[in-house]
Amino acid sequence: MERAEIHELSAAYALDALDASELEAFEDHLARCAECRENAASFQAVASELAYEAEAPAPPQALRERILADARREQPKVVSLPRRRWAFPVAATAAVAAGCAAVGLAFWAADLSQQLDEQRDAAHLSEEAVAALAQADTRRIPLDGANGVLVVDDETGKGWLVVLGLEEAPSAKTYEAWVIEGDAAVPAGLFSGGGVSTVVELGAPVPEGAVVAVTVEEAGGVRQPTQQPVFISGEAA
Amino acid sequence: MARGLAHLSDEALVALVARADEEAFAELYDRFGRVAYGLALRVVRDPALAEDAVQEGFLAVWRSAARFVAERAKASTWILTLIHRRAVDLVRREQPRRAEPLELAPHPTGDDTEEEAWLRLRRTRVQEALRRLPDKQREALELAYFGGFTQSELADRLGEPLGTIKSRMFSGLASLREVLAQGELEEEGWREPRSTS
Repeated sequence: MERAEIHELSAAYALDALDASELEAFEDHLARCAECRENAASFQAVASELAYEAEAPAPPQALRERILADARREQPKVVSLPRRRWAFPVAATAAVAAGCAAVGLAFWAADLSQQLDEQRDAAHLSEEAVAALAQADTRRIPLDGANGVLVVDDETGKGWLVVLGLEEAPSAKTYEAWVIEGDAAVPAGLFSGGGVSTVVELGAPVPEGAVVAVTVEEAGGVRQPTQQPVFISGEAA
Repeated sequence: MARGLAHLSDEALVALVARADEEAFAELYDRFGRVAYGLALRVVRDPALAEDAVQEGFLAVWRSAARFVAERAKASTWILTLIHRRAVDLVRREQPRRAEPLELAPHPTGDDTEEEAWLRLRRTRVQEALRRLPDKQREALELAYFGGFTQSELADRLGEPLGTIKSRMFSGLASLREVLAQGELEEEGWREPRSTS
């Protein structure tokens, strides 16, 4: 599809009038084009007004029951996961009552996923990372020294760091991630921080028992850490 | 509602749903289930399929509520978009059903509940706005949104170049946006009774 032409598709997008491949191409484009995002959002608001033009007989009561039962059934798998398993240093050190902590965690998790959503739009956060974060069988290990988690996909060993409010690395410096197993540190990627949230897809697998640490190094990165970690994960047990 | 959820905005309810609040989810369904079902029925033309679309759409609401960003869209837009997409997916899979999907349903009569009166007002408002669009634009919008046709299918069906269809949809939505915005200025009374903003 031609570049100029793709801008016109926000109307068809809002009307769900794109076929699968057009939709994919346009959503790709949306991730990069703020103007089209704005157009699409505005057109979606208008298109959804059209819904009210349809005659609306009352749906069967049984449908309501079915939908609510479905949601109830899904609850433990999908939604309570962040409440139970996400942990972060602020809550750990705040010495708040357990109930308050749980509420705080839920807010934080919701906030984080919103921010992730924005980040994905803004910076092409990989679909893979988003999928991994949403999955039940990834583990989330709190970070010590930063507000965030290490996410590990047990099956593949793939890891992501998700950090909120990480300061931008000083000029001519970079953050460097390390997967540390015993005495060995394997470089796992460079990143610069800044912004509300930072998501780093680690360039090395995270085996059982390893930890992930982040140091500040000379721009361009180094082969072995030369500094003390600025933050470190718990063990990927 | 025991917890007074009726006074919360749609967006606040979605925020509660993001925290797996079942009561908030039920309240959202009570607010949008009917218009969602009407929309799905109009698109898929089959009560059982319409129920499937509504069910799948609301489950998508339940699952992805945490990703809803209130600054970017109204909750109603987000919900109806999810429902519409499910309905269109279903109708595209069930090709034979939409051979002639576009005869108009009879207008409802009687006025029993507050909800029905409210929906009828909204319906009249959109119908009037649509009437003010050029015929070709209205046709393109209705065929795309309610017929579930892709833009290429529309071009084939109407015997027009794809570019023409694209620009009709674009101008159609732009005009509709303008007409609806004017209507809001002219008639300050059109506000949803339970809106809290």
